[in-house]
Amino acid sequence: MSNPLADMEKPDVIFCIGTNMTETHPVAATRLKKAMRHGAKLIVADPRRIPLAEKADIYLPLRVGSDVALLGAMAHVIEREGLVDPSFLEERTEGFDKLREHLATFTPEWAESITGVPAADIEQAAIWYGKAERGAIYYTLGITEHICGVDNVQSLCNLVLMTGNIGREGTGINPMRGQNNIQGAGDAGALPNNYPGFQPVTDPAIQKKFAKAWGREVDLEKGITKVRALEECGESIHAMLICGENTLVSDPNRAHCQHALESLEHLVVIDMFVTETAALADVVFPAAAWGEVDGVFTNTERRPQRVRAAVKPQGEAKPDWWIVSGIAKRLGFSGFDWESPKEVFNELCELSETYHGLDWDLVSEGRHHWPVPEKGHPGTPILHIGEFPRGRGLFMTPSYRDPAETIDDEYPTWLTTGRRLAHYHTRTMTGRSVGSEYLVPEELVEVHPDDVVRLGLEDGGLAVMSSRRGEVVVKVEATEQSPRGTVFCSFSFSDVPINALTGSGYDPITDTAELKVCPVRLEAATTQLA
Amino acid sequence: MSAKLTLDGREVLFEEGETIYEIARRSKKDVPTLCYDDRLDPLGACRLCVVELEGARNPVASCTTMATDGMVVRTSTEAIEKHRKTLTELVVSENPRGVEIDPLRGMASQELALLAVRYEADGSRFEGATSGRSRKDDPNPMILRDYDQCISCYRCVRVCAEQEGDYAISVENRGFQTRITTEFAGFLEDSACTFCGQCVQTCPTGALGDLRALQNADVPGEIEKTRSICPYCGVGCSVDILSKDDKLVGVQPAMDGPANEGALCVKGQFAWEWVQHDDRLKTPLVRKDGELVPASWDEAFERAAEGFRGVEAKHGRHAIYAVASGRAPHESAYSVQKFVRAGFGTNYIDNCSRA
Amino acid sequence: MPTDQDLLERWKDEPAPLLPLLHAFHERDSYLSDDALRVVSKGLRIPLADLYGTVTFYHHFSRVEGGRGRPRVCDGPICKLKGADTLLAELDGATAMPCAGRCDDPIPVLVEDRYMVGTPGSELAETPAPMPTPNPGEREECCFAHIRAEGRATLAGYRDTGGYRALARAVQEQTPGDVLDVVDASGLAGRGGAGFPTGRKWRAVADAPGEPKTIVCNADEGEPGCFKDRVLMDYDPHAVLEGMALAAYATGATRGFIYLRYEYPHTQAILERAIAEATEAGLLGQGILGTGFSFLIYVRRGAGAYICGEETSLLNSLEGKHPFPRNRPPYPVTHGYEDLPTAVNNVETLASVPQILDRGADWYRSLGEGEHAGTKIISLSGDVLRPGNYEVPIGLPLETLLFEWAGGPPPGRSIQAVTMAGLSGGFVRDLDVTLDEPCLRGRGSFLGAGGIMVFDDSRDMIEVARQAMSFFAHESCGKCFPCRIGTQRLTERLAGEAGPRNADVWRAEVHDIGHTMAAVSACGLGIAAPLITESLLRDFPDAVNAHLENGR
Repeated sequence: MSNPLADMEKPDVIFCIGTNMTETHPVAATRLKKAMRHGAKLIVADPRRIPLAEKADIYLPLRVGSDVALLGAMAHVIEREGLVDPSFLEERTEGFDKLREHLATFTPEWAESITGVPAADIEQAAIWYGKAERGAIYYTLGITEHICGVDNVQSLCNLVLMTGNIGREGTGINPMRGQNNIQGAGDAGALPNNYPGFQPVTDPAIQKKFAKAWGREVDLEKGITKVRALEECGESIHAMLICGENTLVSDPNRAHCQHALESLEHLVVIDMFVTETAALADVVFPAAAWGEVDGVFTNTERRPQRVRAAVKPQGEAKPDWWIVSGIAKRLGFSGFDWESPKEVFNELCELSETYHGLDWDLVSEGRHHWPVPEKGHPGTPILHIGEFPRGRGLFMTPSYRDPAETIDDEYPTWLTTGRRLAHYHTRTMTGRSVGSEYLVPEELVEVHPDDVVRLGLEDGGLAVMSSRRGEVVVKVEATEQSPRGTVFCSFSFSDVPINALTGSGYDPITDTAELKVCPVRLEAATTQLA
Repeated sequence: MSAKLTLDGREVLFEEGETIYEIARRSKKDVPTLCYDDRLDPLGACRLCVVELEGARNPVASCTTMATDGMVVRTSTEAIEKHRKTLTELVVSENPRGVEIDPLRGMASQELALLAVRYEADGSRFEGATSGRSRKDDPNPMILRDYDQCISCYRCVRVCAEQEGDYAISVENRGFQTRITTEFAGFLEDSACTFCGQCVQTCPTGALGDLRALQNADVPGEIEKTRSICPYCGVGCSVDILSKDDKLVGVQPAMDGPANEGALCVKGQFAWEWVQHDDRLKTPLVRKDGELVPASWDEAFERAAEGFRGVEAKHGRHAIYAVASGRAPHESAYSVQKFVRAGFGTNYIDNCSRA
Repeated sequence: MPTDQDLLERWKDEPAPLLPLLHAFHERDSYLSDDALRVVSKGLRIPLADLYGTVTFYHHFSRVEGGRGRPRVCDGPICKLKGADTLLAELDGATAMPCAGRCDDPIPVLVEDRYMVGTPGSELAETPAPMPTPNPGEREECCFAHIRAEGRATLAGYRDTGGYRALARAVQEQTPGDVLDVVDASGLAGRGGAGFPTGRKWRAVADAPGEPKTIVCNADEGEPGCFKDRVLMDYDPHAVLEGMALAAYATGATRGFIYLRYEYPHTQAILERAIAEATEAGLLGQGILGTGFSFLIYVRRGAGAYICGEETSLLNSLEGKHPFPRNRPPYPVTHGYEDLPTAVNNVETLASVPQILDRGADWYRSLGEGEHAGTKIISLSGDVLRPGNYEVPIGLPLETLLFEWAGGPPPGRSIQAVTMAGLSGGFVRDLDVTLDEPCLRGRGSFLGAGGIMVFDDSRDMIEVARQAMSFFAHESCGKCFPCRIGTQRLTERLAGEAGPRNADVWRAEVHDIGHTMAAVSACGLGIAAPLITESLLRDFPDAVNAHLENGR
C-alpha cells in the first residue's frame, strides 16, 4: 500500500476495484466504513454484488476481466472533463500526451459495450474520483489475478497520476496484501528476482554484497517463478522444498500440480499439518505454529510487527528457520548457525536496505513502516511524497485484451473465484475451528436465481461444473450476489477443488494465474448421472 | 494547549474538542463509567461519569461535555459519589444474582462486577423486575447472548455500527422493555452479523461472551496474555493470545494495535483452535515403502539432505527449487531463500503470492 | 392498491421520508410486515436492524397483521377516572394508549384514522374537539383572540380577522432583524414547557452558520392532560403556519416541519389543507408574496412516543433515527435537523407570533398579570365543572382559574390536589399559587406546557401517582440508566409489586432514586418524573403511610 491503513478513514472519494474487502480484509474495511460514516463517497467496481457493493454510492458491475476498458474509460472522462491535475502532471509525470492519444477511443459508450456497465455510471464515477480532494484506490486480487494483471495495475496508476492522488494523506494506490506475511516473504527475499529488501539479483554490486555476507556467489540471472517451476517439474526441476503452502489446493489447475509434484525425485515439505501437498512428500517436517513461535510479520501497510510464542509447540514441532538450518547444515552449508529468530531477523535487517534501520527490538511495538533506511529513521508511512522511485511517474498505455479463455457454446458461463469471510485459503486452519466450520460448512457455487432456472439447476441441489481442464461437483446456491452469466466459488474446500478448473492463463510479466476468469459449464448433477 | 480548566482544585491544560471525561482520565482521576468505549462516540447513558460543574444546576455527564476554558470541575464530591452509588445499586438491581462472570467471556466483562465492589452494591437495594432476556436459543457457537446480564449500555450496538460498520444489532422497544436485538429479533447468523466479536469484547457485564474461549473455563491456571499479530490476512491486527499454562484458551483484540485499534474479524477472534488441534503434525515423517511414517529428526534431516544432494549431483543445482511461505514469519522466508541462494547459488526461490 | 415501489417512489426523495413512508405501508397493509421493512430499509438505506428497532420504539406501529385496525383506547389519568378500563374491556381487541389529548371530552378511541370519543356503555362518536369557551375572566387573549370567529380555520376567514397581515408587513417592509427585535421585546418564551426566550432562540439560529435552516413546529403534544395545541391547530391552523413563516423569515430558514403526534389524524388533514391554501395564495412556498423569501412546510406524523416531544428526540425521529434524545450541547439552534441550524418551537409559541407582530411587543407584554409578560393556555381537566382550554394572563392565581373560571370541583367535593405541567410538574396541594414559573418553581413544581389535572378528595393519590409513574416508565426511552431503571423501580414501589417492606427503608429508596434521577438524568423526562414521588412524599405522607401499611 502506498498509504497506511489509518489513511483509509481519510479519503473523500474511495474507489474499490477487485476487492471483496469486507470478507478478505474485514478490519481494513471497517476503516472505509468509518470514512463513509463521515461522508466519504464509495465507488465499487466488481463483477459480483459483494457486500461492499451494497454500501456503495456507485456500483459498477463490470464483466469479469474487463477492468482495462472500465479504467481506460474513466481516464478518458477525467481528461475530457478537464479534471486532470495540471501541476502534478507537469512536475511529477511524463508521457501524458501519449496516454491522451491512446485514450481517445476509450469512450464510456465503448467501455459499456465491453464491460456491461452503463456509460453514465462510468462517467459519474470518473467525475467523482477526478474531483476528489483525497481520492484513494484500493484493490486486491481481482485486479492482479488476470492475464492482464499488470495492465490493470497500470490503468489504475494512470488514474492516480492524472489526478495527483498520491503522496498525500488519504490518497494513494493501495493493494491489499492477502496473507499475514506475504509482504514479509517478499521483503525477506523469497522472490526469484530480488534479494532481501528488493535488491535485484541482476545487479553485480548487489551480488557482490551478498557474496561477501554469505561466502558464496549467487547467479546473476533471475530465477524462475513458482508457476514456471511447477511446469518444469520432472523436466528441469527435480527437487523441491515447500514451506507452509498447500500448493496442490491453492494453485490453479490441480491435475497439473499433482502431476508436477509427483514427478519430482525429491519433495520436502515443512508444515503444521499433513496437507494434501505434504501427503506427496518424501520428508515432512512438523512446523511450530502461530502462537508457538517468535518472529516478525510485515503487514500490507509495510509495518513489521512482532509475533510471540504464548504456548509450547505441539509435540516435537519446531520453527521453520530451525528446520531449514538443520537441513542446510546437513548439506554442509555455512551461515546457518542461528540460535534464535532474533539472529535471523537481525541478519535480514543488516542486508536489506528497506529494513536497514530496524532490528528485532525496534520492531517490537510495530511503529515503523518500511523503508527505514537507517537507525533513527522514523519510517515511511506514505510512499512517493515528492518523487517516485524512478523519478517521474510514467504513464503507460495498456489496451484491452480478452481473457485467456472466453465463454462459448461449450463453456457458456464465467466462473470467478475468491474467498469467503469465515474461511482462510485451503482451510488448514479455519477448517479446524468450530466457528468457521459452523458458518460455512461446505462449498457452494453462487448462481444468479435466473441462471439457476435457465440452466436447469436447483437451489441447494448438486451441479457438475466443468472447464477445459476438469470438473467438480458442487452444491448450488441461488443468490443475486452473482450477476447473470457469472458464478462464484472459493477454493477453500479440498472436496470441491475449484482449482481443478482454473489455470487458463497467466500474466506474461508476473506469471500470476488468471484465477478470476474461467469459462465453465454447469449442469444439474442428476442429469449427468442419468 | 492554550485552554485550561480547574479539575479538583488543580489547573489542567487541554486541547479544544476534549471532553471533561478525557481530561479527567488523563489526569488520573478515577471517574467510573459503564457505557464508555474510547473508540465510540460518547453516549452519556450510564451517567456514572457525572461531575460537578460550577455554574451548572445539575451534575453533567463528563463524557459528553466538551471542556471549555475556565470551567471549574469537581470529579468526586460527596454528592457525586452518592449519585454514583445509587446508580450502581440501580444497575446491580437489574442483575442481582451476583453471577460470577468468567473473564474468558470478554475483555471488558469484569467492569460491572468491579464497580459493584467499589460502590458496595450487593443487590440488596432497589429490588424489582429484571430487564434482559437471554437468548439461549441462538445456536451459534461463537457469541454467547446471555442478556440476563444486560444493562442496556448499548456498547455492543454502537461498536457494531460505529467501529465495525455492520449495523447488525440494534435496540428493540424502549424504557425498561429495551432489548438488544437483531433485525426481527432473530439469530445472529440470520442477521448482518459477521461474528467479529467486537460486541463481546466491549460488553461490560459479560452478557455477551466468547463461547470458544469459554470452552476452556474449567481449564485450571491463571490467564496469561501474550501480545502477538493475527495469523490470517495482511492487515496485521494486534491480538493478545490468552493461555493457561501451555493451553491456548482464547484471543482478544489489542486496543492499542496500530493496524486494528481493537478491531478483529471472525477468523482472528474465533478461529484459533487449530493451533492445538489433534491433527497437528507432531514428529517428522519420512516416506518408507511408499508410506509416510514418523521418524527421528536425525533421520529426517538426513533423508532431506540426501535427496537434495542426489538431485544436485544428478541434474545440477538448477534442478532444485524452493517455495517459501507467506504465512510464516520473516525468519522462515529468509532462511528458505538463503538455503537456495547461499546453498545452491541460484535464485530458484519464490513465495506463494502468485496464487 | 399502491405497490411497494409506488410508495417508495412517492416518499424516498422527500425531506424526512421515513415516518411518512412507514405510515404509507402501515396504512396499506394494516401493519408493518417484515417485507415492508425490508423494502424501506433498502429504499432509504437504513440498516434493517436499526429500522426494526426504531419501529418497535413507536407504540402505534403494529407488527401484527390487522394491528392498525384495532381500537386504541386512551387510559390517561383523566380517562381512567371516566372508566377507560371498562371501555377497554368492552371493545374487541382494544389496547390502551397513553393520554390522547382530549381530556375535556369523553374517552378518545382511535381506530385507524378515525378519532372518536365515548364512554362505557355508549356508542363511539366522531365529534369535533370542544372550542374554548369565551374567556370567563373577560381577559384579553392572544392565541384565542380570533379562534372562535366563524371560518377562522379557512384562509379567507383567517385573513378576514387580520391573518397574514404580520407576514405581509414583515416580508415587504421589515428586515429579519426588525422581527427579531419585536419578538425579543415581547418577552415571549417557549410555551411547550421549557420556557426558553423565543427571540433569543431565533437570533441564535439566524446567527448560526450552515444552510438550509429549518423551523420545526413541535406539535407532538404528548404530555398527559395537555390538549391546547390540538385546539389551536384544529381551529386556527393558519396562525401556526403564519407563525412558522415569520420564524423562517426572522431566522433565514427555508424549510419547515410540523411534527404532529399520531393521535391527531384529523388535525393532519386540517394542516395539510391549510398549507395547500396558503401555498396557492403565495403565502408559503417559493417567492412568498412576490419577494425573494421562500419557505416550504411539511407535515410529519409521529407514531406514538412521548419522548418525541423532547426536541432532540423529535429531530432524530424526523431524520429517521432511533428517537433517543441527543446530548447537548450542541443545541438544535446550531446542530438541529440534519445537523444544521434549527428552531424548534411549540405550536402555541408559534401561534402567538402573528398577533405579537401585528399588535406589538408592548401589547403582548401587557396581557400578563403585573410584571409578567403575555399569556399561557392552560388545559384544565379532571374534577372541575368546566374543563377545557383557558388562555390565562401569566401570573393569574390558580384559585381564580379553578374556582371562578372553571366552576370548582363537583358539588360536595373539595380539591385534593392538582398536577402541573401535565404530569411533569408533580402534585400541588397548596392551591395558593399563581400561574407563572417563578412562583411554581419556588414550590418545587413548574408550569411547563400548561396542563393542569384536578383530583378531588375522593381520589386515591397513591394510585394516581402510580399511574403517572407507570406512564413515565412506559415512555422512558431507555437511553439513560437513572430514568430507565428509576421509573421502573418507582412504579413497582407505588404499585406495591416490589420493594422493601419497612416504611423508612421504602421512603429512603424512593427518595434516593428520585434524587439521583432528578440530578443526573439525561433529559427532562427523567428529571421531571420524580416530582411525582417527591411531591407525594412531601404533601401526602398519610397516604403514603396508609399505602405502606395496607398494601405491603
